[in-house]
Amino acid sequence: MEAVFISKLKPLLDAVAEQMALYVPKKSGEYYVYSKYDPSANKSVEFNNIRTCTTVKEFIFAVCELAAVYPEPTGPEDIKPFAVFGLKDCDLRSIEILDKVFTEEEFQDVLYVKRRENMFIISSDCFDPSESCFCNIFDGRPYAQSGFDLNVSQVRAGFIIEAGSDKGKDFIEKHSQLFTEADQSLLDERDKNRAQTQKQLEQNNAELKFDATIKEIMENGQDSAVFDVEAEECVECQACTRICPTCHCFYLYDTRQKDYFTKMKMWDSCMRVGYAEVAGGANPHKILGDRIKHRLMHKFVYFLDRYGIDMCVGCGRCIETCAGGIDQRTILKKLSEEFKSKGKTKSKVAK
Amino acid sequence: MSQNPYQPINGEIVDIIDESPTIKTFVVVPEEKFKFETGQFVELTLPGEGEAPFTPSSPPGQTEKMEITIMEAGRVTALLHQCKKGQKVGIRGPFGNGYPIDDFVGKEIYIVGGGVGLAPIRSLFLTLVDRIKDFKSVVCRFGARTPDDFIYKNTLFGSWQKIAGVNMKLTVDEANGQWKDNVGVVTTILAPDDVKIKNAVVVVCGPPIMMKFTTLKLLEFGFVAKDIYLSMEKNMSCGIGKCGHCMIGKYYVCKDGPVFTYKQIKQYPDIWD
Ligand code: SF4
Ligand code: SF4
Ligand code: FES
Repeated sequence: MEAVFISKLKPLLDAVAEQMALYVPKKSGEYYVYSKYDPSANKSVEFNNIRTCTTVKEFIFAVCELAAVYPEPTGPEDIKPFAVFGLKDCDLRSIEILDKVFTEEEFQDVLYVKRRENMFIISSDCFDPSESCFCNIFDGRPYAQSGFDLNVSQVRAGFIIEAGSDKGKDFIEKHSQLFTEADQSLLDERDKNRAQTQKQLEQNNAELKFDATIKEIMENGQDSAVFDVEAEECVECQACTRICPTCHCFYLYDTRQKDYFTKMKMWDSCMRVGYAEVAGGANPHKILGDRIKHRLMHKFVYFLDRYGIDMCVGCGRCIETCAGGIDQRTILKKLSEEFKSKGKTKSKVAK
Repeated sequence: MSQNPYQPINGEIVDIIDESPTIKTFVVVPEEKFKFETGQFVELTLPGEGEAPFTPSSPPGQTEKMEITIMEAGRVTALLHQCKKGQKVGIRGPFGNGYPIDDFVGKEIYIVGGGVGLAPIRSLFLTLVDRIKDFKSVVCRFGARTPDDFIYKNTLFGSWQKIAGVNMKLTVDEANGQWKDNVGVVTTILAPDDVKIKNAVVVVCGPPIMMKFTTLKLLEFGFVAKDIYLSMEKNMSCGIGKCGHCMIGKYYVCKDGPVFTYKQIKQYPDIWD
């Protein structure tokens, strides 16, 4: 399927909303958050130049949900098709990460799988990377690479729409009256935009260069004082893990209803002090610095070992949200420097 | 598999045995056939209250009812201790990897246990005893705080000691009037010639501090890390390698354990915490 062109977003989104619930970004202060699209509202639709504040995980891994009913089980909640517009490449890659965990052959999270099957993803290109975006370090791009149904690229005259899946192709074919061909000059304009944003990202992160892989840097930095030093700034609000599109810790708890019981599944955070504590009181992560270290080790070492990808997409949300001003990039940089000087001392000794 | 992994199967507590002042064994009959391997764990739900992880203390061969020995340690276990016969429960699992018994064939099996750690060991012990001819010997070294704190007293002080092929020694931290055996922590009854180290595997289960010092002692004796099997207790919740609560380094204890060789986990400094 070739790319097609549409001059305004509204007809496209109206067509989607005719078929299913559609969620679109809406500006709130300086950030975008999601809200349900209302076709009857006569407002022009906002094209988010940058990732939203809240993340895509909320659509597929709910903050709190019913995991099971007992003693008489009921079938999983009926999930209807829904669409999300304005997801960026970092969001798509965070979905890929969550998929690894929740759709694993051995134990599938039934609700998650159903939501994923029913989700129609309309991604879009980034224009205005934030100072905190460092997706390029993780091979992210300011435009969708894969994992979308439709992608929207803004150009001066309107929008280029591209299908990334069979569902997306079907949609374009069924609604061909909405679109015209996207000619080469439009595609060239899009490619130029993309290259320019990519360049801007690279410039923003020019300082963030490592001589070794992040995994090596983390593994070698386990005895570093940096975690305890950073912990002094941390107020243990857990915002970094809640806002992270890839963090997926949760806990199960039970409730008593009138004539049945439920098992609920709710987000949790490895930054919480009692997170790893056992009933007997033992707690391997009593110390805040150890929890910060564990969070990063999970992201850059353990998850990578298990699933073959980093558990961070470099979206920078944790950086923007942190009340203590903790910046993961600074931690990595410090560890990288320590790694370098350690390497040097070692080679000196070897001589 | 598209079953809901969070859905418990229904069961009922049909008997409760007082084992020690703080430990009880609950005999649970699941409504559906429930298969597990010795050393695997289950999540036991007290309806409406919560669930907690336990390794059954009955052998897998005993299919009609399952025994779960529980020490009162936290909120859910305290509530379980107040339960009466007939209490409905939920069971999820079994989860994780148990003891690789088939790899033990032809070897001496050296089992070191302490406190409520004897619960998983009982399941293992009964499983081994059932096919005792497959193993060179089963050498047990068990400890408890006081003689009263030993669980499974009847069999432990009686029939288990008489099984051919089993060699058992017990110790307590603090003796009382009748106690004739050793006094001291469990490491005081471990000796380098208890088993032939080259052809033996060790299974250790007990409180973290006991596992730590036992492991160190075993290494001192010349055991290699891959022959030491540890049963790890962590804050398990989901049981299926997703919620993150049970992580030791890269491992999910619920999925990759709860039984690990020391070799697998020795790189992580926090395993004993
Ligand atoms: S957002 Fe910052 S202050 Fe809050 S828990 Fe995370 S690191 Fe600590
Ligand atoms: S760790 Fe931070 S930068 Fe990485 S994906 Fe999570 S929120 Fe984004
Ligand atoms: S108990 Fe949830 S990941 Fe292990």
